[in-house]
Amino acid sequence: MAETPLVEMRRITKRFGGVTALSEVDLTARAGEVLAIVGDNGAGKSTLIKILTGVYQPTEGSILIDGQEVSFASHAEAIEQGIDAVYQTLALADHLDPAANMFLGNELTKKVFGMTILDNKRMRTETERVLMDRLGVRLKSLDAATESLSGGQRQAVAIARAVYSEGLRVLVMDEPTAALGPQETARTLKLIETLRDQGLAVILISHSLDDVFQVSDRIHVQRRGRQVGVVRTADSNTQEVLGLIVGAEEAA
Amino acid sequence: MSATDTAPQRPRSFADRAEPYIAIIGPMVMILAILLFMGVVEPARYFRLSNLNLILLDAALYMPMAMAMTFVITQRGIDLSIGSIAALSGILMAFLIKQYDFPAWVAVPIALTLGALMGLINGLIITRLKVPDLIGTLAMDLVYRGLALVIAKGLVLARFPDLITDIGRGQIPGFIPIPVVIGIATMVGGYFLLTRTYFGRYTIAIGSSPESAELTGISVNRHKVYAYVLMGAAAALGGLMLTGKLNAIQATSAPYFNLHVIAAVVVGGTSLFGGRASMVGSFAGVLLLSMMINALVTLRIEFFWQSVASGVVIVSSVALYTWMQKKDRDGAKGLLAGLSTPDGQKMLRFSAAIIGVLIALLALGTLLAGEPVPSG
Repeated sequence: MAETPLVEMRRITKRFGGVTALSEVDLTARAGEVLAIVGDNGAGKSTLIKILTGVYQPTEGSILIDGQEVSFASHAEAIEQGIDAVYQTLALADHLDPAANMFLGNELTKKVFGMTILDNKRMRTETERVLMDRLGVRLKSLDAATESLSGGQRQAVAIARAVYSEGLRVLVMDEPTAALGPQETARTLKLIETLRDQGLAVILISHSLDDVFQVSDRIHVQRRGRQVGVVRTADSNTQEVLGLIVGAEEAA
Repeated sequence: MSATDTAPQRPRSFADRAEPYIAIIGPMVMILAILLFMGVVEPARYFRLSNLNLILLDAALYMPMAMAMTFVITQRGIDLSIGSIAALSGILMAFLIKQYDFPAWVAVPIALTLGALMGLINGLIITRLKVPDLIGTLAMDLVYRGLALVIAKGLVLARFPDLITDIGRGQIPGFIPIPVVIGIATMVGGYFLLTRTYFGRYTIAIGSSPESAELTGISVNRHKVYAYVLMGAAAALGGLMLTGKLNAIQATSAPYFNLHVIAAVVVGGTSLFGGRASMVGSFAGVLLLSMMINALVTLRIEFFWQSVASGVVIVSSVALYTWMQKKDRDGAKGLLAGLSTPDGQKMLRFSAAIIGVLIALLALGTLLAGEPVPSG
């Protein structure tokens, strides 16, 4: 525990006009660890994550990566520093095939007679490789449109897009299991474990305490814009975390 | 590291496997139907080589525009101003040649660039001023047509240099007409653009989900503008080919280009709801419409029926695609089953009432009618 955490957010405060969405929140995430962030609606989970991924800028407080202070003016800058997110909507274009989706906005190209054209063949083999090597997923067909894939497979494509960048160190997943059935949820949790074993810091936002207890190493609890506790999953139970979320412990 | 590939194996039905090809099957079936019908009814005149040439010549005119419209529609857009862009750029080119004595080989690229400029204006109106595409291009259709009328003042400009008539109706000896070569080349170019370039890839992504495209860092507005610029240039090329074909141009030329081209693209299976593009389908759609119109002419059916036939083909093909894309057909039990539901009953009574009122009014008119009076 003595090593420097990969990500450290210190005393983060965010105000939108007169509304304080976050006040003095601390968050640490380590490589090879799944950190779950739980809390009721409006507890500040999304705001916290959007600050980490550079979508919002904090009003006060600082972000450290490997002990170095950084500040992100945009999401793109966060990606450069190795922090990326998989959104709840997955940001997939359903009519394109998985390979096109995986490289959407970041296509591989080749030069033919001095013209830059898309290298569809290489994008295909790379997609196959990344899905298999990093996520252990093989799709039945890489030709079918992404809309024909199952929820878990779509998730895998979206995750593959994030992990394709070699510099990725922190992956934020916003409600990855919200729209999935039990079987697909189990597969997605397995993907999260796979990524953790590869040394990524995974930050998981979830409403499902079952998922959180199954996959996380530590749980960060938010309530009304404040961090009300961080517990080690192994030393805790659903009751305790639930108590923190609704504030029962505080009142007692 | 376990595999996630164990999605329940379901046997791929015929519909599943046919799905990617629906876009091509639709117009192909209709083309075959026309061929069969004409083969029975009027084989001698329809299948003459000269008639085949006529069909291709007619289709070639619409090919560049159908190519560009495929991109516009795939991005969930529409462009209703292409007929006026064709006329205005044709008129401007004609004036440059006839009035100011520009050489044709300079005037032609100027016309194409002017078309691109008009497309750029359309694109900026839609993306910067946030005017919805339907209204924006409809209004610009009026503007461009009005400008063409202002400039040409009812003149018909005719007799152009060889270069222009070659583009419009030239023939490569022993081969196909030059406009057909141009048309097919633009379709092939369009296919390449769609499948091998950033522009094509992003066009599909934007039409599929503008929000996702934005999230992955694609500049949605810039790529929309590109599509309208391509559309404008293609419309100008259409106007140029029309000028060459007729060896004349006037401000009221090309009145229904927009609907004809949109029809061809939609019949070809490109979805009006975006994301689903088929360049081969658009090509087939253009051919289908030209073959149908030619068939009506060959059958000596009055010209005005062409408009009726075009409309029927559009409605039926779009309805067919919608039906084919509906995954769950269980319990639908065909078209008439809906009539027995309470809602269907209300609709039935409502329709019956309208028809009833019409019949009653016609009967009343007949009762009160006297001797016909000539209106002249």
